[in-house]
Amino acid sequence: MNRHSLDEIRPRIQALEAMPAVPAIVLPLTAMLQLPSDQVDVDKIVELVSYDGTIAAQCLRMANSPLFGRRNTETVRSAVLALGLERIEAILLGCCLNRIVPPDKWAFDAVTFWRHSLGCALVSSKMARLIGYPDPEKAYLAGLLHDLGILVNTLACTEDFRACIQAARDGHVALHRSEEEHLGFTHCQSGKILADRWHFSGDVVEVIEFHHDVVAAPVGGPLVSLVHLSDLLCRLRDLGYGYYEAMGVDLAGDAAWATLVEHYPALAKMDLARLTMDIDGAMEEIVAIVDAVFKP
Amino acid sequence: MVETGIAKPVTESTAEDLRDPAYLKIRNMIYQISGIYQPDEKLYLLAARCARRMSEVNAKTPAQYLEHLTVRGDREAELRLLLNEITIGETYMFRSPPQLEALQKVILPEILKAKSAMGFKRLHLWSAGCSTGEEPYTLAMFLLEESEKMLAGWTFDILATDLNDNSLVAAKAGVYGEYALRSTTELLRRKYFRPYDDKRLQVADRLKSLIRFERVNLNDDSKMTFLKGMDLIFCCNVLIYFDLSSKRKVMQHFYSNLLPGGYLFLGHAESLYQVDDRFHLVHFPGAIGYWKPPVGYTGGGKP
Repeated sequence: MNRHSLDEIRPRIQALEAMPAVPAIVLPLTAMLQLPSDQVDVDKIVELVSYDGTIAAQCLRMANSPLFGRRNTETVRSAVLALGLERIEAILLGCCLNRIVPPDKWAFDAVTFWRHSLGCALVSSKMARLIGYPDPEKAYLAGLLHDLGILVNTLACTEDFRACIQAARDGHVALHRSEEEHLGFTHCQSGKILADRWHFSGDVVEVIEFHHDVVAAPVGGPLVSLVHLSDLLCRLRDLGYGYYEAMGVDLAGDAAWATLVEHYPALAKMDLARLTMDIDGAMEEIVAIVDAVFKP
Repeated sequence: MVETGIAKPVTESTAEDLRDPAYLKIRNMIYQISGIYQPDEKLYLLAARCARRMSEVNAKTPAQYLEHLTVRGDREAELRLLLNEITIGETYMFRSPPQLEALQKVILPEILKAKSAMGFKRLHLWSAGCSTGEEPYTLAMFLLEESEKMLAGWTFDILATDLNDNSLVAAKAGVYGEYALRSTTELLRRKYFRPYDDKRLQVADRLKSLIRFERVNLNDDSKMTFLKGMDLIFCCNVLIYFDLSSKRKVMQHFYSNLLPGGYLFLGHAESLYQVDDRFHLVHFPGAIGYWKPPVGYTGGGKP
């Protein structure tokens, strides 16, 4: 099947009755997530968490888990402080977005999807800090949301998407390649349509649309490249889509790498093998957070 | 492969002895000869290895043992025995499944395609620092398992080298117990091993016939220069004891030993960071390889 243009698939996505309205707290939340952490109003976050009983309960459960060494955290406020803003953000956003997909519709399981998204968020912000990218919070958010289109595909064409994932799994190929072949569009395109409708900021929309094709990004700022590389690293370190992707990636030979080095020369000196080992080291926490929030 | 774990000092007094300047001299001498380097924090490891040899030769102090290594007539033999102690290691078969999976699903298809296009049908692998043989036998089993599939019509051989004579003797014998075989499936055991005694198995001759065992010092420039035409080199947990300038030298050799498009694999915790900038670090799922790009490669990612 040929790859369809965005205009061709737009009606198919938008006509879907299942396509959800933006969950109420997502917009205030994403606005807040983009602030530097010292400008975030903790009371506002506590308010957002308290707004939803299930989310509040999940935050308390996390804060009381042995991983964070806390016991007897009883108020939402102390849970927010115990977990730290980045983790709370991930839990909030993950929970809201997770709810737009009914449990029986998941094409691959929610836990795998959120491990990858959270992994990409953490690696993006870590890499941002390492190379001196000025907005690690933005990198975190973009990493968390980069695969929004997978939720769209799950809802918009559940059965076709399942077949497409199975084909990717059997052929050990990248998901977006399998989407091109079996759906005629990728999660990058469908994610962009939903992100536009939800009025996400322009640079996050660009990440969603071009994280598999950074060269085609019209603005092509460092953020797209950063998330592209983090996404690759996660898929290479067991934080991918839950199947073997047959790939050998020369990250330093990637176009995204060249773009980033242009903006941030520090990247050229980065110890990639060590970063990879760091990611492996961070796995335990990522898995614990995601399991605490999303495991049934 | 060299043991990466922490060896228990064999004598009570080792900790105090570490201050003995003779250990620094021994360390520096070993470095000059073999390129194996023990940083100050790892001197206890060297002291433990020396202690075994010291009791053998009846040396009472490190300074006395240094004499055995420098002025006695049998100093070269003693030095070799000490090197054997230092590089003694233990490993097991199928130790790194992600590496084998990358070989099977990504690397071999890529290399086979490139070589067939040039009319070649032969593969050369090298296990550099093969210790007691677990790695080369693992590779031999892997290749034989593929010989009916993607390697149909291909020939292949494995060079397995180590500095340690004792390891090489054990490697050639190919007798393994439960520890070495703990990740080897029942099917592969039946296929490639025969019973040796009630606790151990011995590798079948068709595995051995694929492997050439040889004593090679990775620091021996004249020897290293001759080992050309490799498609894959495995050198796991060997360079960790080498200091920077020795590592650089070995890497230069490995780079010219490899054919363009070939790969070098190190141990999973080893990094070539700031050691060599000609190899490209290539990520595979769960494994990292160092790639010698073909002539004319200008980036743009990998196929």
